[in-house]
Amino acid sequence: MSDNNEYLDMFFAESEEYIMVLNDNILKLENNPEDKEVVASLFRAAHSLKGMSATMRFDVLTELTHKIENLMDKVRNNKIDVTTEIIDLLFEGIDYIEEIVKQIKDEGTDDFNLEVYLHKLENNIEEGKAHKETSNQDIENNNDNFDSKRLTLNEVEKNNIQENKKELDTVYAVNAELDKVTEFKQVRASMVLKEAKEMGYIFKSDPDIKSVDEAEIEEDVVKMILISNENREDIVNNLSNITDVVAINITAMDIESTDKNMKSDNEKQKAKNEDSSSSKFAVSSTVRVGIKKLDKLMNMIGELLINKTRLEALNINSEGFKDILPQLDRVTMELHHTVMQIRMEPIGVMFNRFPRMVRDLSKDSQKEIDFLIKGKETELDRSIIDELGDPLTHLLRNAVDHGIEKPETRVKKGKDKTGKIKLKAYQKGSEIIIEVEDDGSGINIDKLTAKAVEKELITQKELEEMDREKKLQLIFEPGLSTTDQVSNVSGRGVGMDVVKRTIKSLDGDVYIKSEKEEGTKIVISLPLTLAIQDALMVKIDEEVFAIPLNAISETLKIKSKEIRQVKGNDVIVLRNETIPLIDSRKSLNIEVGDNNYTEQEEMSVVIVKSSGKEVGLIVNELLYQQEIVIKSLSDYLGNVKNISGATIIGDGEVALILDVRDIA
Amino acid sequence: MAKILIVDDAAFMRMNLKNILENNGHEIVDEAANGKIGFESYQKHGADLVTMDITMPEMDGIEAVKKIMEFDSDAKVIMCSAMGQQSLVIEAIEAGAKDFIVKPFNKKRIKEAIDKII
Repeated sequence: MSDNNEYLDMFFAESEEYIMVLNDNILKLENNPEDKEVVASLFRAAHSLKGMSATMRFDVLTELTHKIENLMDKVRNNKIDVTTEIIDLLFEGIDYIEEIVKQIKDEGTDDFNLEVYLHKLENNIEEGKAHKETSNQDIENNNDNFDSKRLTLNEVEKNNIQENKKELDTVYAVNAELDKVTEFKQVRASMVLKEAKEMGYIFKSDPDIKSVDEAEIEEDVVKMILISNENREDIVNNLSNITDVVAINITAMDIESTDKNMKSDNEKQKAKNEDSSSSKFAVSSTVRVGIKKLDKLMNMIGELLINKTRLEALNINSEGFKDILPQLDRVTMELHHTVMQIRMEPIGVMFNRFPRMVRDLSKDSQKEIDFLIKGKETELDRSIIDELGDPLTHLLRNAVDHGIEKPETRVKKGKDKTGKIKLKAYQKGSEIIIEVEDDGSGINIDKLTAKAVEKELITQKELEEMDREKKLQLIFEPGLSTTDQVSNVSGRGVGMDVVKRTIKSLDGDVYIKSEKEEGTKIVISLPLTLAIQDALMVKIDEEVFAIPLNAISETLKIKSKEIRQVKGNDVIVLRNETIPLIDSRKSLNIEVGDNNYTEQEEMSVVIVKSSGKEVGLIVNELLYQQEIVIKSLSDYLGNVKNISGATIIGDGEVALILDVRDIA
Repeated sequence: MAKILIVDDAAFMRMNLKNILENNGHEIVDEAANGKIGFESYQKHGADLVTMDITMPEMDGIEAVKKIMEFDSDAKVIMCSAMGQQSLVIEAIEAGAKDFIVKPFNKKRIKEAIDKII
């Protein structure tokens, strides 16, 4: 049974990938219905899914994927035009696949009633076919379009052939047409290919010679590229001798490379070819590893790091010891770095699901939206990526639902009738920034603040002291939603407060910028990785605290006379920016007594950034920089204000990690 | 005119095929109810053409084709198949069968197939 589980895990992981491929490519197909590459990938994905499901004996899923594969095959062979109905039908099918896979995961069975959908699919295939057939016949009667129907060779293939063919060989493109009444077309096709094979070498064929017994051939033509030293007449005679072969179209192909440069690049291409052909047989050079195993590895490296730090603190005075320490340091660093790399994945794996979603949502709400994704390749810790799915879904839903206006409204406002939503990811220092931006109606700040006061989240007096930026951030407070009606798009109970909570639990931060009628931008910043971070160790009162380096923009020493007062608060002016000062002791509820910092002549300030703003944190002493292993405070301590976790420092003592976002 | 050996486990099918072939002027040299008997008959009497059913007890059609081809590499065998046996037919063709016909039999197509081979 455990064997089976392993299969299942693999099945789930792989089917998720294929579902993604399907979704992705259907979107592409919608934009470019003629793209044969896309159709081919769709076909392959459906085919692979079918194979997997059949092996696992998920019959319903097998049938569904089989039907979709069939449909794609017809599209591939120009039997069906790609219409909006077909696209919608495909999307619906993928949704079912997803749902069934989920059901298998939850309940272990793929028992699912698909009759209605399959029926619809069947009807559409028939209709599309009938339509296409009549239009096809017209073309065929008018001209012989054999040229467009035969297989072609790309430059790489041409080169490949040129290098391997013998002197007397000719490269033919052969199409064998089968009688319309042919029974067992794939058997006929295999007979044609078998006969052809006896006369030479089949470079490629449609149907493929290896899978001909599985292929469902609806087309009446067997196409191939045949390399042979037989003359044209003999080939035609031999092939037309096969029952049901009614016509043979054959042309000798010119395989001289059209691109001169290709020849000089021959070696390279050859290597490439060998690469691609060998990859078919060679065992894949990647390995799937459960995220839990990586978590464990990361934990152990954390332990190693702690012990290394403690070792360093021992300060043993021996030659050997001092030799080993830097070595140990290097190895642990590299180990940490490597595991971090392994855990990283391009954020595209998650972003890929959004184009489909935005498309559906905009269709439902009758809005026209251009959805742009940038920075798919940005890498982030896998566990963070997993957590980001829901918040981003929510933000994008909001952008579609509350942000972008209907086309007619936009035109009235003098905007382009197509709205824009941009999803962008990029790395900035040791942080990853993700932005969701729309050019919609923006946030109604008066409505937002009025509601905040009404719900008693803030008092009128507090409100008056807030600047515009701060007011906007109120949207992350629980219970605030600016639209009164709850639509079926957003407003499903997951509010902006949940978004903020999730991001904060990832040790990240989120803030919002919005201009009325211009749009809204939500900026999420996240640490590159959890678990291990660089930190600045500081002394506050008599205790050592850690401040994550990614939150710090700079450190400085200031004199008490540099402190200014704005609205009764201490601030400093740094490069023309006014930065509020905060006594870290007060934030941590440490008794300050008379020992006010302003009494000191000089003090250390750590400038930390939070929600796009900077705050100066006054500490007693800047100590040193160190890699820290972040340990969460145990559950029974709950959420401690201003503290995000703890770490173990060199002497084995525990140091608390400041949550500067809380403090600022 | 050709001498034909019919191999099929169903007497009804043998009769059906025999009528069609005889109407086309061919001679039925023998009938066999499974691949084993069919192969033995071929060894004994030979034939210009063999019609071979696929699913049969004792020895199936594919096995029989292989045996016959081993025995006589010039043997001409036509497979008699039913819907859903496509991949088996391909296997038989790989083994050396020359063609196939599909049940229920269509007189015209059987004639075409046989004329082509002989």
